[in-house]
Amino acid sequence: MNQIFDSLQQFWQFTGFANCSWQNLVMIAIGIVFITLAIVKEWEPLLLVPIGFGMIVGNIPMFPGLNIGIYEDGSVMNILYQGVRQGWYPPLIFLGIGAMTDFSALISQPRLVVIGAAAQMGIFGAYLLALAVGFAPNEAGAIGIIGGADGPTAIFLSSKLAPDLMGAIAVSAYSYMALVPVIQRPIMLLLTSKKERLIRMEKPRQVSQREKIMFPIIGFLITAFIVPSGLPLLGMLFFGNLLKESGVTRRLAETARGPLIDVVTTLIGLTVGASTQADKFLSGKSVLIFGLGLLSFVIATASGVLFVKFMNLFLKEGRKINPLIGNAGVSAVPDSARVSEVVGRESDPDNHLLMNAMAPNVAGVIGSAVAAGILLGFLG
Amino acid sequence: MRRVRFIMTAALLLLGFGAGAQNVSDLVITEAVCENTSGPVDGYGRHSSWIEITNSSQGTVNYAGCFLTDDPAVPNKYMIPKGDASTKAGPRQTFIIWMGCDDAEGTFYSSIPVTRGGCIYLVSNDGKTIIDSIAVPEDLPEDMSVAKIARDNKGMQFITEEEAQIPSFKVINVAGSGETGAQKAARTDPHGWILTLTSVSVVFGALIVLWFIFSLVGRVFSREKKAPAAAKPDEMTAAAIALALDMEEGGGTYAAIAMALHLYLGESIHDKESFIITIKPTTAKHDNFRKLPR
Repeated sequence: MNQIFDSLQQFWQFTGFANCSWQNLVMIAIGIVFITLAIVKEWEPLLLVPIGFGMIVGNIPMFPGLNIGIYEDGSVMNILYQGVRQGWYPPLIFLGIGAMTDFSALISQPRLVVIGAAAQMGIFGAYLLALAVGFAPNEAGAIGIIGGADGPTAIFLSSKLAPDLMGAIAVSAYSYMALVPVIQRPIMLLLTSKKERLIRMEKPRQVSQREKIMFPIIGFLITAFIVPSGLPLLGMLFFGNLLKESGVTRRLAETARGPLIDVVTTLIGLTVGASTQADKFLSGKSVLIFGLGLLSFVIATASGVLFVKFMNLFLKEGRKINPLIGNAGVSAVPDSARVSEVVGRESDPDNHLLMNAMAPNVAGVIGSAVAAGILLGFLG
Repeated sequence: MRRVRFIMTAALLLLGFGAGAQNVSDLVITEAVCENTSGPVDGYGRHSSWIEITNSSQGTVNYAGCFLTDDPAVPNKYMIPKGDASTKAGPRQTFIIWMGCDDAEGTFYSSIPVTRGGCIYLVSNDGKTIIDSIAVPEDLPEDMSVAKIARDNKGMQFITEEEAQIPSFKVINVAGSGETGAQKAARTDPHGWILTLTSVSVVFGALIVLWFIFSLVGRVFSREKKAPAAAKPDEMTAAAIALALDMEEGGGTYAAIAMALHLYLGESIHDKESFIITIKPTTAKHDNFRKLPR
């Protein structure tokens, strides 16, 4: 009888109930909130469901030494986590993004590319702020990239510059990406006048297939020669786009934008979520990172809108740009372009800005990858 | 076919050359100190003499099994131990080997002394091929090193000079001698303004170049479109073909083909994915049946 009692007592020591702390419960609750937001509000469900569930997985209290935790060498979760830790997953996601992105809007209106550059001010604004509040330069660079509004880029850079902060940075980046409509709208309305919101832009010209094929090759050569440290992201982005546009590699393009990106997104979401173990995640630093992440989105949106207003000072009537597409320089594709469309139609229901906004939006993807390459080059 | 084979062979040869360029032959002895009294200390706290070896390639080199010697007639005097995971040097990284010590003290300790007027040779892991050497001047002062300074970081062209003994920037096996980019940034740009301004300029520069090039490309292609399309009939022609075929054959098949042509020539199709237009005649009987029960 005593033996049975001892066995049960020993078993109890292995259960989650015996090893649970309030921090674990907080993280599990956050995971459930993420899943709820994804299902009920449909905010970035493809990311928030895996991340949310990953948070629950990573915070199941366990007896140490069973070799099942994400930070235990050789465990299954640890092996899957290496794709995040070593930065393999983000370039694969960029391959898929390249294979699903139509750059026609950008090719037809190349002047809008610079809005994508202006919106990267969010990255550098957050970098300066992070330095000011006491983060080391490598940590500040990793935090700043949240302003790029690009989850894979944020994971890639933070895995190289500040692996300890990666969980908080990734969760912050994806959370704010899901909240793009909530964050951007008031800033856009605050910084634009009614008259500016009514500006109608010319329809983008039709782009030939040859131009679409040339774009990934030329785009890659230019950006990679300028910032070779961005090669993993830029190379895969433009390669994926070439697969799409070449017209002769349809199967490869379909795999890249379909099964491949689905598998990698699932793994990246789950493992990033699981990496937010309470003892590593619940700290004052994480709170600061969330605050700085929010500010970086605000700065990025404001910079994009204000830069368009600045450009308009030099443009003739009829060539002016609606500043409501400035927010789309934040590279949350296509959410921020969709915000431009929605806010634009609130002022003028017949003014469709979506196609114009897609140009800075995809330029933002290139811009954030370039910015990540620069930060890696300087701070790596 | 022969040309394709030739191109493939040339490409493979080039690849082979590239792969071969990242082996121990890319190691260079870049610095040697024979009398160290105030410079870096080894793992035992001693001011030992040392040599510095640099990987001049753009790939990681595993130098385990390579040899050091001060006598080319005996090339295998000291072997860098195999089986130590730390015997790898990344691109342009350098490592130090402490000289005049005891071979048994560790991976990076050799009993070969660095002497004035002598020469240290680095021998490949075949035990025969001399990869590089550095001659120590007779009059090399105390705490001075003989160094090969890379004047050209791209081609790694070295010039031998005497200088105060300072291990290179990226020494990987001596604590505290290297400096990461972040440490350098913390020292030189604590508030981050220089990095910010530089980075913003580069991001704008890269995207402005894209703007410029695609404006040019756009202009060229717009002009091409405006040129009389002798080989490419316009929409009116396509419509005429459609009408004529329809009248002649009086059937839907030709009209469908003409419509497809009309859409294709008018570039009304969003994406040209497969370049295949498939028209399947609906002759199967079951296509004529009602699909739903009454």
